[in-house]
Amino acid sequence: MSQAQPRLRAAFSLGVTALLVMGLVASQWLLGDSPQQMQFDARLAPPSVEHWLGTDALGRELWARTLAGLALSFWVGCLAALLSTLIALSLAAIATLSARLDALVSLLIDTLLSVPHLILLMLIAFALGGGTQAVIIAVAVTHWPSLARVLRAELWQLRQAPYVRISRALGKSRWFVLHGHLLPHLIPHCLVGALLLFPHAILHEAALTFLGFGLSPSQPAIGVLLADAMRYLSGGYWWLGIFPGLGLLLMVLGFERLSSHLRRAL
Amino acid sequence: MTKPTRPILLGIALSCLVVATTVQAKEQLVLAIGGEPEQGFDPLLGWGQYGNPLFQSTLLSRGKDLAPQPELATEWWLSEDRMTWTLTLREDARFADGTPLTAEDVAYTFNAAARAGGRADLSALAEATALDKHTVSLRLKAPRITFIDQLLTLGIVPRAERDNGYSDQYGRHPLGSGPYQLVEWQEGEQLIVERNPYFYGPTPAFERLVFLFTGEDATLSAAHAGQVDVASVPPALAANVPAHMQRVIMESVDNRGILFPMQSANGEHAGSGAPIGNDVTADIAVRRAINLALDRDTLVEVALHGYGRPAFGPADGLPWSNSDERFAAPDLDQAEEILDAAGWQLRDDGLRYKDGLPASFRLTYPSSDTTRQLLAEVSAEMVRPLGIEIQPTGRHWDEIQREALHQDAIMFGFGSHSPQEVYYLFHSQHAGNGFYNSGFYANPAVDAHLDAAQAASGLEQANREWQAAQWDGTTGYGVRGDSSWAWLVNLEHVYFTDTCLDVGDLSLAPHGHGWPITTNLLEWRWTCD
Repeated sequence: MSQAQPRLRAAFSLGVTALLVMGLVASQWLLGDSPQQMQFDARLAPPSVEHWLGTDALGRELWARTLAGLALSFWVGCLAALLSTLIALSLAAIATLSARLDALVSLLIDTLLSVPHLILLMLIAFALGGGTQAVIIAVAVTHWPSLARVLRAELWQLRQAPYVRISRALGKSRWFVLHGHLLPHLIPHCLVGALLLFPHAILHEAALTFLGFGLSPSQPAIGVLLADAMRYLSGGYWWLGIFPGLGLLLMVLGFERLSSHLRRAL
Repeated sequence: MTKPTRPILLGIALSCLVVATTVQAKEQLVLAIGGEPEQGFDPLLGWGQYGNPLFQSTLLSRGKDLAPQPELATEWWLSEDRMTWTLTLREDARFADGTPLTAEDVAYTFNAAARAGGRADLSALAEATALDKHTVSLRLKAPRITFIDQLLTLGIVPRAERDNGYSDQYGRHPLGSGPYQLVEWQEGEQLIVERNPYFYGPTPAFERLVFLFTGEDATLSAAHAGQVDVASVPPALAANVPAHMQRVIMESVDNRGILFPMQSANGEHAGSGAPIGNDVTADIAVRRAINLALDRDTLVEVALHGYGRPAFGPADGLPWSNSDERFAAPDLDQAEEILDAAGWQLRDDGLRYKDGLPASFRLTYPSSDTTRQLLAEVSAEMVRPLGIEIQPTGRHWDEIQREALHQDAIMFGFGSHSPQEVYYLFHSQHAGNGFYNSGFYANPAVDAHLDAAQAASGLEQANREWQAAQWDGTTGYGVRGDSSWAWLVNLEHVYFTDTCLDVGDLSLAPHGHGWPITTNLLEWRWTCD
């Protein structure tokens, strides 16, 4: 029973998060142009029956923009986490090839970990000219070191395992050992690592956009909605910031719980 | 007899003290009005072209009615052949280091500005010569009606040959004869200036000015926290006035509009490497339809919160603008007819296509500018029913220059006290030259009108030519002609100022929300104890 509990929790978290994600993705089909549609006679309307979460300065429905923003953050987070995991896995694999390469990868990991995330993110996003691609690349390039360190340690441990040593003694190539023995063992680590990266990725995407280095101010991203909300906060338009912020918080918490449960279960 | 005099004397002494205290009560003003110049405070590179040069003096200045009035020059006249300006300078003008300002400094400034090729366009100047210590002559290559604008805007710098003379570092360490001198400039943060003790004019009321270079959000926060005395605010955020401040509105000729790339994309690149051309906006039918579809009254209401008026040209209301260039109301039906006739067919996805090309293009604006963002987004919404997709895209200025300047529609802002700007915007000679004619607009008939205006013998004749360039009955750059722009709105500049600060009568501001409010700085007074 005690062993089954983490798996049950993980399954439950997975189910709930999957439902949320499906809902988020489906909403994009249903929303259509809603996040962009302006109602000039209903600008900055507070939450009500007609305007569920209120409207922004151009009379656009905040619920539609929040959903669109969360969906955008989800895709950016997914791609950035996937790319980051691939970088981590590749570098960890390269590190196992020789002691010199291992030292080089370790140096790269230590260097990147020693630089504050946000500053590096801003520099890369700015250098790439901003926009969705730039944000994905910036987040991916800055978030792989922790996972790479875990995977590298795991690979070094696996290399000493008897079945790997036997495989080598039998004359199997490095490539065969890598994809036949080592990589399959690493897939659960990669899955959990990617899920752990995901909340970081979307938070950093939102932060980067909020600071003006990320997505265009005309895209309904959560960072854009929060930056807009800051301007109108002194006017008492509280709903502009509260709902997008809550949406982001719930999504981050959902994925954080899922990754935490999966880590325990696996 | 002596007793009654004591209270009187004491009263007089106290009154003096109170007056003295009142004067000393506010020696420093903190202003968050933006406008930090990238190239520094160098008039030869463009500083002072939009508003008050602060550190330097100009030969002439504008009165409230925008008419020229004496400044450094006490007398001025143009020769009969309209080729030579002669000016007599005041004798008490001194630079902030105490050295006198002479005709040689004026001649140096004009000759050097002509060579520098900055925003001050002195291409018409043949040579500036100091006739004696206080008389200068400016000889032109050809008559140019707008040359007088350079006498009104070009700040005089000390000639390079003298001590503390002009150098490459002048923009960072300006020395002039204006009312204030630079104390410290922390780029991107703040500028501190103090009174120039040698200024020939009335002593400014404030010993020290601190200009904070903050973004819109930080400026608004600082205003609400009571940390600034003057703050420029975008119209959309002007509704909530901080408790200790008042809203001050400055009328302006500052406009916002959409510049369309006029050429088709054929793989050409500008000298900067930026691609040239856009196949959608190169079609006059698209440009005309957009101009007809835009509801400018709604734009003023929604994007400017009423702080502005509709715009149909670059100089609405000014004598050189054609007042017939306007629509009574947006006309979507006529816009659709124009697009249908030009072969732009509406498809099921809601977009129009012509030969497989979708009617879709980016409208780029500087991402830090809320007003331009709102105008871009509302404009996009207004043309959507036509089947034209405008994608509002916020970018940094350097990225706009690198990528978007000649291939995207750009949400620009202009507006000047001089028709010279019209020349820059629409003459083919300035195609691809900086921001002005970045859409590569070229129409020989328009060029001819603009050249005729510059060569005109009088203002009336010149104004007729400026207006004909906009629409001469056959062609023009305006909405009835090539529709090279979709002009949207003329702004009112909105400021929050401390309730104790009297900024006097503000004049009509040019483009550049911020510095223009300092034009009448010498009239500003602190009214509280």
